[in-house]
Amino acid sequence: MGVVTVDLKMLNVWVEGLIRGGRVFGVQAKNNRFQFAPLLMAANLRLDYDVTVIPPKKYMQPAREDLLTFEGAAGFETCLDQEPFILIGVHPYDVAAIAQMDAVFSGDNVDVHYMTRRKQATVVACDVQAASANVFAGCMGTATVDKGFDILLTRVGDHYVVDSRTHKGEVILGNLVKAPKADAVSLARREQVWEDNRKYLRKHELRMAPETLPTLLEASCDHPVWEEKSQRCFSCGSCNMVCPTCYCFDVRDDVRWDLKGGARVRDWDGCMLRDFATVAGGHNFRKNRADRYRHRYYRKGKYMPAKIGHISCVGCGRCISACVTKIANPVEVYNRLLEVR
Amino acid sequence: MSNPRVAIFDFACCEGCQLQVVNLEEDILSLIALVDPVEWREAMSDHSDSYDIAIIEGSITRPEDVDRLKTIRERAKILIALGACATMGGINKLKNNFDLKEVRQAVYGAAAGMAHLNTEPTRALDEIVKVDFKVHGCPIDNRELGAIIRCLIMGKTPVIPTYPVCVECKKNEVVCRYEFNEICLGPVTRAGCGARCPSRGFWCFGCRGYAEEPNVAAASDVMDHYGKTVEDLKSRLTLFVGQQEFPP
Ligand code: SF4
Ligand code: SF4
Ligand code: SF4
Repeated sequence: MGVVTVDLKMLNVWVEGLIRGGRVFGVQAKNNRFQFAPLLMAANLRLDYDVTVIPPKKYMQPAREDLLTFEGAAGFETCLDQEPFILIGVHPYDVAAIAQMDAVFSGDNVDVHYMTRRKQATVVACDVQAASANVFAGCMGTATVDKGFDILLTRVGDHYVVDSRTHKGEVILGNLVKAPKADAVSLARREQVWEDNRKYLRKHELRMAPETLPTLLEASCDHPVWEEKSQRCFSCGSCNMVCPTCYCFDVRDDVRWDLKGGARVRDWDGCMLRDFATVAGGHNFRKNRADRYRHRYYRKGKYMPAKIGHISCVGCGRCISACVTKIANPVEVYNRLLEVR
Repeated sequence: MSNPRVAIFDFACCEGCQLQVVNLEEDILSLIALVDPVEWREAMSDHSDSYDIAIIEGSITRPEDVDRLKTIRERAKILIALGACATMGGINKLKNNFDLKEVRQAVYGAAAGMAHLNTEPTRALDEIVKVDFKVHGCPIDNRELGAIIRCLIMGKTPVIPTYPVCVECKKNEVVCRYEFNEICLGPVTRAGCGARCPSRGFWCFGCRGYAEEPNVAAASDVMDHYGKTVEDLKSRLTLFVGQQEFPP
């Protein structure tokens, strides 16, 4: 497995080849923003993007999917998406998030729907070239990544360094195996990109080491910030939906007009929504807005580290942009906890 | 087991929601296989006083409407409010912002004094009788109505979203109207429409009424941030939810 350099023209030719070969999703411009979408031509790929509206989690866990279809007494059939696909342009913080989701969906009860898609995915990551308005990956240790991808692209001047790390990566390298090996200068420039990204992807500055969050939260249950901020919360769940490490879902049966057949459907759910914690009998164990608001920060900073060993915020900043009332900034909230009450 | 007998009635409305039922097209045959329509002015000539499910479109705007509504309620086992006029008064409630005499004058001119043109403040059905289920929207989403009816026949409680439209915007990967510094009522409006308007570049008009526990105060707090005023927000709220009553 080698590290090679390719110029922009050659990169385009390579991407065109991938598109001809199968299902490719890449970052593209839409309505002044960026999104992952089916890539029809290499020229549409925007590796210079800042952030996408929705993270690439939608390819592993779609907003809505059929888990199984049923036909009354005839039984049911599990729905699995087995078609291979390639994701091009995944930023390091999203690579880190996918690794967390892998841990979640493969732990406890293995989620066969997620894992099937995940196994079919080849992840072509790309180092950040433009900082988004609210990114703080630099504070979360996710501005760069060393694993979790199949190929890593890094732009250095007028060419890219292409680093393939896995068998899946090798398989799609194609012509690029003939590209020149990256020389010392290119590698040094790549180091510089990494160093810069760690330093500059900090539009908000977390005033603590992320590892200390569980301890800080342990002592912050009754901090006034929860009540204060949540007064302006719509319980709209936007902060959940756009988050690459939010994976909660709801499951329902959709029965057809014949009242026999139908589909068991799951779609995204979010802990900020009023009825997220409503259970049988109509009891809601997080009925207050402030309880739900607090839960989101506890989950990211305390419950998830206990479960998978990582703070469940990768600093993409999407929630900060998505929140209409501007109260969803994790950095602002966590920093507030340091202040005297 | 015989099919439930269904009657569809209308009060003050544009009949657009009933039209949505007709627009089910081939699914209407599936619907008729599950229920026996016994009265439906817009689609059939039969009439009946005996039915299990009453589906009512429109709001209550005249004194004589009240008695008719109460009679329907007495006869029906299940009463469904169909569309914004029935669920919350809808556009018809705009009239409640004005003096009723002036309203009559403006609409009927010289004829305004005639007895049969009598009018009173608009009310939603549940301000007068108990409503079992609400099919929200202006107009309704006929797929949602279908799902509700199938649930009722199977004895399941239909799931109607209690959360705001923003959820569906995110699922559709829509860029928020507020990012273009536009006011959108989505954060306080009940989802279920699939964020139809924002997905096509329009702000949410609030036609499905308020979400459960809408945080309207938060919406006015944030106007400054987008260079708007609370008056701007109010002018948008007027169309559908401005006069909406909350159940106790
Ligand atoms: S909490 Fe916000 S900043 Fe952190 S990963 Fe989720 S969306 Fe990104
Ligand atoms: S914090 Fe913001 S985005 Fe999240 S639910 Fe509340 S209002 Fe919506
Ligand atoms: S466009 Fe409206 S409904 Fe959609 S996310 Fe923004 S505020 Fe919510």
